[in-house]
Amino acid sequence: MALLQSPHWPVLIDVYFFLGGLAGGAFVIATIAHLIDARRFRDVSRVGYYLALVALIPCPIILIVDLGVPVRFMNMVLRFNPLSPMSMGAWALLGFSACAFLAALLTLLEDAGRSRGVWLKSVVGLVGAFFGFFLAAYPGVLLSATARPLWTGGHALGALFLAVGASTGAAAMALALLGLGRRTGDGVSTLRTMLVLALLIQIVSVAVFVVSVQGSGSAASVRALTTLTSGAYALTFWLGAIALGSVLPLLLGVVDFKRRSPGLTALASVLVLVGGFLVKFVIVAAGQA
Amino acid sequence: MARTLAMFTDTSLCIGCRACQVACKQWNELDMEVPDWTGTYQNHTHFTDATFRLVRFIEEPGGKPNGDLAWLLMSDVCKHCGDAGCLNACPTGAIYRTEFGTVNIDQGVCNGCRYCVSACPFGVVSFNEQTGTAKKCTFCNDRIHNGLGPACAKACPTESIQFGFRDELVAKARKRVETLKGLGFKEAQLYGAEATGFLGGLNAFFLLLSKPSTYGLPDAPRLPQKNIFVESVLSVGSALLVGLGALVAFRHRGGKGE
Repeated sequence: MALLQSPHWPVLIDVYFFLGGLAGGAFVIATIAHLIDARRFRDVSRVGYYLALVALIPCPIILIVDLGVPVRFMNMVLRFNPLSPMSMGAWALLGFSACAFLAALLTLLEDAGRSRGVWLKSVVGLVGAFFGFFLAAYPGVLLSATARPLWTGGHALGALFLAVGASTGAAAMALALLGLGRRTGDGVSTLRTMLVLALLIQIVSVAVFVVSVQGSGSAASVRALTTLTSGAYALTFWLGAIALGSVLPLLLGVVDFKRRSPGLTALASVLVLVGGFLVKFVIVAAGQA
Repeated sequence: MARTLAMFTDTSLCIGCRACQVACKQWNELDMEVPDWTGTYQNHTHFTDATFRLVRFIEEPGGKPNGDLAWLLMSDVCKHCGDAGCLNACPTGAIYRTEFGTVNIDQGVCNGCRYCVSACPFGVVSFNEQTGTAKKCTFCNDRIHNGLGPACAKACPTESIQFGFRDELVAKARKRVETLKGLGFKEAQLYGAEATGFLGGLNAFFLLLSKPSTYGLPDAPRLPQKNIFVESVLSVGSALLVGLGALVAFRHRGGKGE
């Protein structure tokens, strides 16, 4: 509908959605690995906590640069507005930053042989996992709580963004472990399982979103959906985000269960990272068109 | 809270002179803009960061009681919704409700995140590149706090735009609809007058001579924030699946022994 206006958020915002989700997903997986067996899965949690911090660092910078009046960025956290997913997201980013910093610091102290104890890391991990989930999911809820016909017409955008956070987090951790030469062992093989699980939720969520927009009964939403499924973004969506970015790595992951091939895992992980970005990019772009 | 103020735009009285648009620009010192040539008298196509009042020129074939083409005119403006999507969406508190029930943006607080732009069901809120903030009709906030009506209502030569207490204006508007129906305007209807209707009622409400969609207005605009609950529940479901899946996956590997 010509009446509505677009916020014209640039691609940089998609980069933030991608990095925030990846950081949240990696942190959650690292925490669960740490809680199940801190010694046995030390590689996994170590890589996850470091990755979460590295992926997080550009996030606030991107958000501040994108503001119309960057010096007023603090206004975001001078108010707590539960009706605004953006307000809640700003608070979640703040909480997550503190936890990601502490978790990485505790890991660093362990690396230096000055462990502060498993329990402290567990508490930081649990609190951070809550914020991590929130950080990964809230952009989807934020988009759905607008008047843009595509975003508001369907369901499961938050669920989708969370699943993408988990899949890209697991993929980045798998690549990091492989890069560090941990080709075998329980770490990489568990991340393979995580990859397949997250991709399944991701694909189901996309399907729920598309079907629910189609069945929303809103002419404007159905029209907006065609931008994604048959219009300007159709190739990026079907080929990039779905076929190469979600379905192919899922199939590779299933084959990889038996083969346990580092090459296959690496390929699937790269595809997941590219696909995870494209899913978010294409939904944000088509919704603003 | 003071008694709620409102603007009632009776489109049946509009002659398309755009005195409201000019008065709005002058009082609010809004920037000049390059006109859009659209093939009609309408300028501009949309609300912008420097156009808060906008007269829409619409041609509706067969829209007149005698079956002729109806030339519909509508002076459009921010609706100052009773439940405002922009106000709910604002993360900084820059968008606030005044004691008169109007919705305003504090230009000294807004940091230009543009979330309100996407949350307005009417495409009213606009982003200004120069100031880096969101802009929209202020209901002439300075004037109403000094006992004056909005500049657009003051300038309107036909009383198409009326300013006053909301309850009084709604009663007046209802009578006007009956009169018009008696004259053969079967589609004459109020848009946003009911406080129990969509978006908690509009504090700038309209009398239309045709269906809202003819004017490009949504028939039943929805408060964007109504999606938050369901989407949050679905997100928690997704989080539980990921979390429990990870617990099982790591437990399974961890339990295998060295």
